[in-house]
Amino acid sequence: MKVFISCDMEGTAGVCSWKQCDPSDAHEYPIFRRYMTLEVAAAIEGARSAGAARVLVNDSHWSMRNLLLDELPTDDDLRVISGAPKPWSMMQGLDAALDAAFFTGYHARAGECATLSHTYSDSLYSVTVNGTPCSEALLNAALAGTYGVPVVLVTGDRVIVDEAARALPWAIGVAVKDPIGYSAVNSLLPAAACDAIRDGAREALGRLDRAKPFAFDPPFELTVETTTVEQADFIELMPGFSRAGGRAVRFTASEYPAMLRAFLAASRMAAAAEPIA
Amino acid sequence: MEGVAGVCSWQQVDARTPHPEYATFRRYYTQEVCSAIAGARAGGAAEVLVNDSHGPMRNLLLDDLPADVRIIFGNRKPFSMVQDADLGFGGAFFVGYHGGAGEADAVLCHTYTPSVIYEVRLNGVPCSEATINAALLGYHGVPLLLVTGDRATVEGVQAQMPWVHGVVVKESIGNFAADSTTPAAAQRAIHRGGEEAVREASAAQLYRFEPPITLDVQLVTAAQAHLVATIPGFERTGSRSVRFVHDSYPVVFKAFVATWRLGSQA
Repeated sequence: MKVFISCDMEGTAGVCSWKQCDPSDAHEYPIFRRYMTLEVAAAIEGARSAGAARVLVNDSHWSMRNLLLDELPTDDDLRVISGAPKPWSMMQGLDAALDAAFFTGYHARAGECATLSHTYSDSLYSVTVNGTPCSEALLNAALAGTYGVPVVLVTGDRVIVDEAARALPWAIGVAVKDPIGYSAVNSLLPAAACDAIRDGAREALGRLDRAKPFAFDPPFELTVETTTVEQADFIELMPGFSRAGGRAVRFTASEYPAMLRAFLAASRMAAAAEPIA
Repeated sequence: MEGVAGVCSWQQVDARTPHPEYATFRRYYTQEVCSAIAGARAGGAAEVLVNDSHGPMRNLLLDDLPADVRIIFGNRKPFSMVQDADLGFGGAFFVGYHGGAGEADAVLCHTYTPSVIYEVRLNGVPCSEATINAALLGYHGVPLLLVTGDRATVEGVQAQMPWVHGVVVKESIGNFAADSTTPAAAQRAIHRGGEEAVREASAAQLYRFEPPITLDVQLVTAAQAHLVATIPGFERTGSRSVRFVHDSYPVVFKAFVATWRLGSQA
């Protein structure tokens, strides 16, 4: 059995501030990147105990080189994808050869009343596919689903875990903290979160036979609302995008990977529309 | 602005971190535009629309322009240097233009974004800003009538569009020096050139690329190509190159704008 892990950071136990997740922060980030690493290591241990021979971890947060590599298991059957940008971003490395996917450290979508809620980029106000508001978890789960790979574990705050429970009812959710608005949490301690994640990972693979690949129905209509008009101006430059409002763009594709790739390009392009003096 | 008489350094045309020289050369730039307007009027042009097309695209000293023209001012226009080309014009002038990226003996040569764009080809034809922009005008039925700038730039345009009137205001000595006419002499020449260009507009032709139109862009770095290749419809054709093919030139033009906008993020 081969397991893919996309690990984000904002949904790590204890995280309640961007400073803790910002690689340029010299004080809090080094502490919380270790907690992130420990949670990923726990997920790997749980997967191994359920019989996963090989694990591929894709560091999926910010610069995407957060994991402390010497604190992960050292065997030859663990590989880690580090660095950014990657064409498939948080889902780089996932293909039909994988049997299951874990999302660790995940967070709620833009606009939710939840810890550090956002969707890929701070520039995006909302993202919907075929009218369904999407978190990163849902967008990414649909890519995995395209390749027949079910998402079986989602760890993060209560809001994203609850959303996953609705969309991916076969997945095990591990809520390591309850959001108190945007920048406070009522959290498990890191050690307890790791225990829960280890147990959750084992259980998730134990019932893999009940899991299903998640998919939207084609054609895939992506609508992205940006925070500023200019971000939409920039995205609209790209082939295939049409304007759906002052701060909204639309893109339709018959294949989900093409739609997600366009979404990722939109999120990168929005970041290029920094205000100018 | 790089093709204005006397210009030979980025500091003279850098509006973002203004060097004291910018204020001087922005005045020369405005005066050359005024001369082109006056020439067009003398040749019979009834209405003039000026699109400020350099850097932040708000360089012109508006007080110094005739009061009866319209101006497009400001940055980040989807069609950039040829915004509003579709409003039904009889002809277009390119004033203060410069050579394409990599062109020898062209002052401050570059194509849109020097740090991102190494080379641009449309249907295999090597392109400068003048070529890329003239093709959008051509798509909308507007012929290019006049180009002003250094000799390499003017002759480069005329090699592709022999009907275009040229006003050579300076001879480049490499990329950062020029043997130039004075501003006043350049302005007189631009006035004359503009007048003749409008008068002889009926001889001008449209510059167009036939569909399917293939845009090949070579980026400066592999990291830029990596990022740009994620734009929908783009294909990576080499470690530092991408390709986009489409039947509609405005779509291709916007895709090119997207290329350097996104490429600058790498």
